[in-house]
Amino acid sequence: MTLTLLDELLLFSGVTVLVALFLGRRLPAGWMVTILYGIQLLSLLKMAPLGYGGDPIPSTLILEVMGQTLSWRFDALSWYFALITLGSALLSSWYACGEWEQRFRQAGGNVWLFHLAMALNVFSMLILLASGDLLSLFIGWELVSWAGFLLMAMAGGVATRAAMRYITYAMVGAMAIFGGIALVYVSAGSLQYDAILTAVSQMGTPHLWMLVILFSAGFGIKMGLMPFHLWQAPAYAETPGPGSAFLGAISSRMGLFAILLVLVKLFGIVNIESLKIPFTLIDARDLLAWIAVFTIIFPTFTAMKQNDARELLAWHGIGQGGYMLLGLVVADAMGAAGGLLHVFNHATYQAALFMAVTAVIHRTGTSDLNKLGGLVVRMPLSFMVLLVGIIGLAGLPPMNGFVSKWLVYRSLLNEGMPLLFVAAVIGTLGTILSVYKLIHNIFLGQLRVEHEHIKEAPWSMMIPMLILAAIIFITGLLPGIPLAWVASVQEAVGLSVPNYTLGGVESASGSLDMIWVIGVLFAGFGIGALVFYSAGKSKRVHQLDNYAGGHFLTADIRYQYSDNFYAGLMHLIGGWYRGSFLWLEKSVKSLVEFLSLGMQGIYRRANAEFYLLSTALFVIAWVVI
Amino acid sequence: MNSMVVLPLVLPLFGAFLLPIIMRASVGVGLWVGPAILLYGCWILGNQWISGTAMPFSLAIGGFAPPMGINLYVDSLALLFALAVQLLGLIFWPFKLDPETARRQALMLLLVAASTGLALSGDLFNLYVFYELVAVATFGLISASSTGSAYAATIRYLILSGIGSVLTLLGIALIYSQTGTLNLAHLAQLAPEQLNNKLGLTAFLSILIGVGVKAELFPVNTWVPEVYATAASRVSAFLAGLVSKLALLIILRLLVLIFHQQEAIQVMLFLGILGVVSGELAAWRAKDMRRMLAFSSIGQLGMIFIALSIPDQAGLLAVLALSFHHLLVKSGLFMLADGWGGAIENLRGAAKRSPLAAIVFILFSLSLIGMPPLPGFWAKFTLITELAAQTSPLYLIGLAVFLLATVIEAAYLFRLAALLYRPVSEEKPIDTIPKPAGVSLVSASLFGVGLLAAALFITPVGELLNHVAGQAANAELYIDTVLAGTGGGR
Amino acid sequence: MAPLELIIELVLMPLVAFIVGLMMVLMMRRIAAKLQRRVGPPFFQPLYDIVKLHGKRTQVSHGMIHDIGIVMAMGGYIAAETLLPVPGMNGIAEKGGIITLLYLMMIPSLGLALGVGQCANPNGSIGIARALTAMLAYDIPLVIVVFGVAYAAGTTNLVEIIATQQAGGFETWGAVQMPLLAIAGLIAMHASLGKQPFEIYIAPAEIATGPMVEMGGKYLGGLFVMQSFQLYTTSVLYVSLFLGGGTTWFDFLLKSFLVLAIPVSIAYLFPRYRTEDLLRLMWKWPVMLGLIGIAFVM
Repeated sequence: MTLTLLDELLLFSGVTVLVALFLGRRLPAGWMVTILYGIQLLSLLKMAPLGYGGDPIPSTLILEVMGQTLSWRFDALSWYFALITLGSALLSSWYACGEWEQRFRQAGGNVWLFHLAMALNVFSMLILLASGDLLSLFIGWELVSWAGFLLMAMAGGVATRAAMRYITYAMVGAMAIFGGIALVYVSAGSLQYDAILTAVSQMGTPHLWMLVILFSAGFGIKMGLMPFHLWQAPAYAETPGPGSAFLGAISSRMGLFAILLVLVKLFGIVNIESLKIPFTLIDARDLLAWIAVFTIIFPTFTAMKQNDARELLAWHGIGQGGYMLLGLVVADAMGAAGGLLHVFNHATYQAALFMAVTAVIHRTGTSDLNKLGGLVVRMPLSFMVLLVGIIGLAGLPPMNGFVSKWLVYRSLLNEGMPLLFVAAVIGTLGTILSVYKLIHNIFLGQLRVEHEHIKEAPWSMMIPMLILAAIIFITGLLPGIPLAWVASVQEAVGLSVPNYTLGGVESASGSLDMIWVIGVLFAGFGIGALVFYSAGKSKRVHQLDNYAGGHFLTADIRYQYSDNFYAGLMHLIGGWYRGSFLWLEKSVKSLVEFLSLGMQGIYRRANAEFYLLSTALFVIAWVVI
Repeated sequence: MNSMVVLPLVLPLFGAFLLPIIMRASVGVGLWVGPAILLYGCWILGNQWISGTAMPFSLAIGGFAPPMGINLYVDSLALLFALAVQLLGLIFWPFKLDPETARRQALMLLLVAASTGLALSGDLFNLYVFYELVAVATFGLISASSTGSAYAATIRYLILSGIGSVLTLLGIALIYSQTGTLNLAHLAQLAPEQLNNKLGLTAFLSILIGVGVKAELFPVNTWVPEVYATAASRVSAFLAGLVSKLALLIILRLLVLIFHQQEAIQVMLFLGILGVVSGELAAWRAKDMRRMLAFSSIGQLGMIFIALSIPDQAGLLAVLALSFHHLLVKSGLFMLADGWGGAIENLRGAAKRSPLAAIVFILFSLSLIGMPPLPGFWAKFTLITELAAQTSPLYLIGLAVFLLATVIEAAYLFRLAALLYRPVSEEKPIDTIPKPAGVSLVSASLFGVGLLAAALFITPVGELLNHVAGQAANAELYIDTVLAGTGGGR
Repeated sequence: MAPLELIIELVLMPLVAFIVGLMMVLMMRRIAAKLQRRVGPPFFQPLYDIVKLHGKRTQVSHGMIHDIGIVMAMGGYIAAETLLPVPGMNGIAEKGGIITLLYLMMIPSLGLALGVGQCANPNGSIGIARALTAMLAYDIPLVIVVFGVAYAAGTTNLVEIIATQQAGGFETWGAVQMPLLAIAGLIAMHASLGKQPFEIYIAPAEIATGPMVEMGGKYLGGLFVMQSFQLYTTSVLYVSLFLGGGTTWFDFLLKSFLVLAIPVSIAYLFPRYRTEDLLRLMWKWPVMLGLIGIAFVM
């Protein structure tokens, strides 16, 4: 038996888990694990033909359990997601090594558990991505859920509560999927993809509806789709720094992967579109698109109100997931490409952002947006990474986030979906507002006295951040690189492929060439700089040498605007934040609590024999009548 | 060789009567009698298992051939249960030395004997007798913990159990009055003509409710939380793990062999669903680990009843898988509760005090929830695929309830798991946190190892259970084996 | 297209924009003067202002980002001009399209926001917060309008949008075909200029001119340049979307100045709105008009 490339990859990944488990208490464990991620990435790169339309690579491991065949294989879709997974794992783990790890240990954190949880997450994600049938998909899914739980819960305290909330949601999702799988199994007689493909074509409408609802709810919960989004932000935000970078980058995308695999590849968008909702003009696809759009808007505007940098980022992570789904369900060549490309882009900037914020926490000890400010003079590189990240997040040129969002907008325009288009843009505008608040409150404005002597983040943390920033810029400049992978993913799941070039997309109805756009942008900056710097030399003044309406500023006067940042906006929309979903969540909980109380009441009754006799009588009466 | 099967039934029975006398003569010898008998029983049954699972056989007792005489029916299902009884008897053996030792050990042997009989008996009346014996033994064992609340719980159990027995007896009497026989195989022959009517249905339902008391069938299971919460954990484990399953075995045999009415199945499905709902919901608020486990056990048994309402081979496979999974897991959990009983709040930080126990608890919880690739997942998988395949909407409701219940189950089990890992509060010294005793922890870990082994060898285990289910679901084989006398009992 | 020709275009387009923009500033001041019965500044006053500001001896910097912000504010618009076709010159308009242009137009604002942020003056930060809020207000009707136009034309390529309008003369102008969108666009455009009554983020009496509070010398000069670019870009964009662009330089400039004259004239007649009133106004009328307009287009 010769090992295939996939076997090799999974083997390395398993070894990483074992190394983290058994050698993880030694000092250089972090570096060892990081190197192993690097090896995994190399092993993944050996499969690079997959990213350019190569044939799927199977694993030699095939299990026969309880009459089911379990198999694993990698295709373009798996490869693309695995690339993002391993890339973010490598950089997050690298970031964690060295100073961060030492500080974490001093603060009472369990470094061993952290590396182990990371390794387990990566391993289980690879298993999920490799799944070759619906049952192995479910197994991988569950493994990912619980591995994620471990990483989220390990910080204790608030984090554990957030993780508990996560696992309850995740269980609801898992059970929805489990039920869906059972229904699929009954109608297809097997859980192999081929059999399901044939079965779907003969399925009745109610059956398909049921399956679409079950699967999209199940997978959507992991993505944090409305109305199942509440768990995600606290859970990700409370995870130890590099962990949240990793989770924020890729974890909830597993939901998107599964949606792609099951809803797009197996069920087919056409079939989903054929599910009309009676008495309305919309069908199941529109429904999904609207869910995606609400997932963009609400979490984004919730993010705007956060006063903790990590919470803010985590809420945006939910919102950005909406763009991916939106692009996917529009499902034309550009939209799907945009949605898929956004997965990659989001992973890069979200990881960079979380890392930058963690670097700030590392130096200042807080991520409270009201307790920071002016750090750009102390931590210029971190500022730069954060700036690159937020430009990506907001989807402005010249960073990569722009390209994917552009593709999504274009597809909405092509398909003639004005409301969705406007809603998507509202999300982007909200993001711009929110990320400005982030960068302003941390890096701009007045430097606090207690931060006057802090240093830039250590190089062990800086290098991964800079690498990410470089990737964000380069894939913004040359989006053709990831678009080639995206194109083979689209082919693998049966979607049409846009006509992409190295610099963007060619289309009869309007093209994009980022090389030119960025070229003129930087030329413009150059001219601007020429004009600006050729004028008289400027003099650097102290931050307290400032207009204050005639007052003199001193170091003990806080001269910074950070709280209630968009006061005018909140005057109007502040009342719209009703916490309806929180209320909904609470009422479900209360309902369960109430029912539980009732049930306990039944069991607390002393006259048990009364039940027995009445049941017996009732049943016998039922029989006789 | 086949007749050796009687020994695991007879020896403990004799042992139970003789043990007090031996104990009086020599405690040292007496302490070894019980385990020795059980070990021997295991050995015999194990041998039987290895040599002849392929063919079931019937063993006539007292020289008369069935249907006139009484017989034992030994197929792989019966053997499996008998073996489980002996093994669990050994694992839960009441080692504790105190003035009550002799009584407790004798009761335990009696319980084992009666349970083995229940598993092997091929005759309705004998089933009833053994069932009563089990009841008597358990009353004794529960009240042996000699606390006020234990007595109160026992009395409640006693009353319920008593009325249940009366109902069972009523059902049996109805059957007898209609057919004139109590031999299961003979009844199976007669059933299509004589019991496929309202009378038969009434008989079945009375038996269902009567036996349901022990099988934790909703709503005649109200004794469960109190008894499990007050009895010694080992006893609770035995009750929840095994006795409930033996009661199920009776119903399973009746369903397969005699009663095929849709109504019977519907009632059971309905009560099963209610059991799941009530049990899991009640567990959600439980403030005491043992009560939580008790409620969870009600929920699990409800799931098994749901599975039992699909009485073909696949359904029986689900029943068996769920039963044995529950047996392993719940026994293990009750062993942990041995040290961790009492208010859940006290368990805060217990993982620090006993990391192994916490890990074992998480392992059991994961399997109970159905986390792949642990065995619990496969058990649930067989059940839900079966449920989804049914056409009646009640089954789909069952499916939905089952899935929702799993969510609740996960929530309360992991709330406890998270509590175990919470940091200990400052003023509380670490050694005041409860910790499972050494023996209990070892047995719990044993169950854990068993669980992991089952996960590792899931394919052979699955095949085995499928084979057992196939044999059990085959009513003709049963009739042929008993009445044609093909099995060599003589 | 020959590379040399393209490079010349890329140089010329921003230059033209700069000159026209300065003239637009002049026009704005003259209109204000007329309304207030003043004489108004001389023709070269905007240029004098810029030269004066850049030549000042006291140039106060609050740090690196303060400087870079100004560079971005100017540079972003310089780049944006190359995506905006003028008669005879398309630049790289076909490589970006209107969505890219809209997003590129946000870069200067972002640069300004960063620069102001480093000034560590709450007045400036509040100004930026208000400016971004205003952006949220007027961009929603604006994208509705852009969607409508692009959908009707079937392309996001500005060159083609202009070409289709010019193809059938006056009847095929966007403003004739889609009057509702044109009105909505006009309101949104007015708001985007940040002139009265929408100058919530300047508000000299409340927040001491907001973003400009710490700006002096070449910093203010940079903002001045940015403003002239902004006037040019906004009006030319409107002309390209609704008034058929320009076939000749004459009608191109005429249209651009006329379009700009409307909001500028209105501006000096009104007091300032509160922030939330601006939002409410923008999200009500232009959005409604725009959506109805799209319904007609589809």
